[in-house]
Amino acid sequence: MSALEIANSWPMWIACGAAVAVVVAQAVIFAISAWKAGPKVGLSKDQMKNAMKSSAITSIGPSVVILSGMLSLLITVGGPIAWMRLSMIGSVMFEAIAAGIGTNVVGVTLGTDVLTNEALGMALWTMVLCSIGWVVFATFSANRMDKIQNKLSGGDTKKLIAISTGAVIGVFGAMCGQHLSKVVNLENKALTLDKASLACLLGAVIMFVMIKVSEKFPAIKEWNLTISLLLTLVIVAFV
Amino acid sequence: MENKEFFDKEYMPKMHRIGKLTGALGVLIAFVPALVLAICYGILPAPAALVTAFVAGASSFAVLWFVEPISYFSVLGPVGTYMAFLSGNISNMRVPCASMAQVSAEVEPGSEKGSVIATLGMAVSIVINISVLTVGVILGSSILSMLPESITGALNYLLPALFGALMMQFSMKSKGHSAIILVFAILINVALKAGVFSWLPGANNYLGILTSVFLSIVVAIVTYNKAKDA
Repeated sequence: MSALEIANSWPMWIACGAAVAVVVAQAVIFAISAWKAGPKVGLSKDQMKNAMKSSAITSIGPSVVILSGMLSLLITVGGPIAWMRLSMIGSVMFEAIAAGIGTNVVGVTLGTDVLTNEALGMALWTMVLCSIGWVVFATFSANRMDKIQNKLSGGDTKKLIAISTGAVIGVFGAMCGQHLSKVVNLENKALTLDKASLACLLGAVIMFVMIKVSEKFPAIKEWNLTISLLLTLVIVAFV
Repeated sequence: MENKEFFDKEYMPKMHRIGKLTGALGVLIAFVPALVLAICYGILPAPAALVTAFVAGASSFAVLWFVEPISYFSVLGPVGTYMAFLSGNISNMRVPCASMAQVSAEVEPGSEKGSVIATLGMAVSIVINISVLTVGVILGSSILSMLPESITGALNYLLPALFGALMMQFSMKSKGHSAIILVFAILINVALKAGVFSWLPGANNYLGILTSVFLSIVVAIVTYNKAKDA
């Protein structure tokens, strides 16, 4: 049995399936509890349904990006591991790097050399060991961070809302900044607009137009984001 | 304040219990595939090699284990933190989905309603994410060849477009605040690229987001206090 045959064998499918099942189970249990709690905190069924629909529409694009990341990982470490690693803890960027670090130690370059049994083991163990830190810390500090944040807001709900809204702007600002900073070309001391920055700017501009338009036609509101993204991708493709 | 009573005394303690239990279970189950390799096929890496790889990996990622949950906490809330870090793909999927769910339900992040809605939104995104991956892994790499090159090429620009659009969505209500953060985020990323923070190991991976989020929280608190005093 070659290393890739082992990686794609049925015991591996079952083992990886169990891990994926835990992630799905957690999401479903949380969702059921949230759904039941909704009316008690003053949410209507419609609000909750709209939220879920909107999240579903938003999920499509990023899911396809993650899928293409999984397909490139699948070629190197087999289906089950790629499937599990991108369903659990990891991110597209992290997994390939971690797997590569693991195989490099035993002299196998991921993607170019033939995968040996030893390298397969190294890739999997390195990915798992290097990723559980996130879950361990997040899981066992969430309670504490919640208390710290409540102290910071002094039990003032409005202040907590202001803090969270600020954090949301901080996250998206940082992500935009990461792309837009590429416009500044330090070597030539010039400004150059690459396609990623263009997509970021176009996404923002078209979204602005969509928000204004949907104020007049509320029916299209939940499609604002999808329409903005599609238009942006079409324009960027033709530039 | 019956709602608050229920939320704080009943709902949140229950969610914390579920989160800790499923998180711990997730950590244990993550090792099962590696154990199957060892038990069924006798593949167990040499401890020395594994330590070398772990140290190399940890030196690039260990800071992120702590910095990311802290950076994203105010956005995700406690329940969102449990979910996002077990399922991964946080900035590119969980946060955008939770935020759009809140926009659609017209609730504010950080409120009780916002927390419930974010949980629902994130759960939906996890189920869709895993469904797409499951279909993808069954069909295999053949589906990649089914997609025309123009589409796979365009996918590279989906995330920057998504972040631009979401930034606009949240900037509409606080334009000045958003402008400050955006300018700061661009500057810090340029500084990172110029190597200003090269003395800080792995800074490229986390410094931009950590500083932007905390600056934004400080700006939010200052603005809030000012408005309250006025």
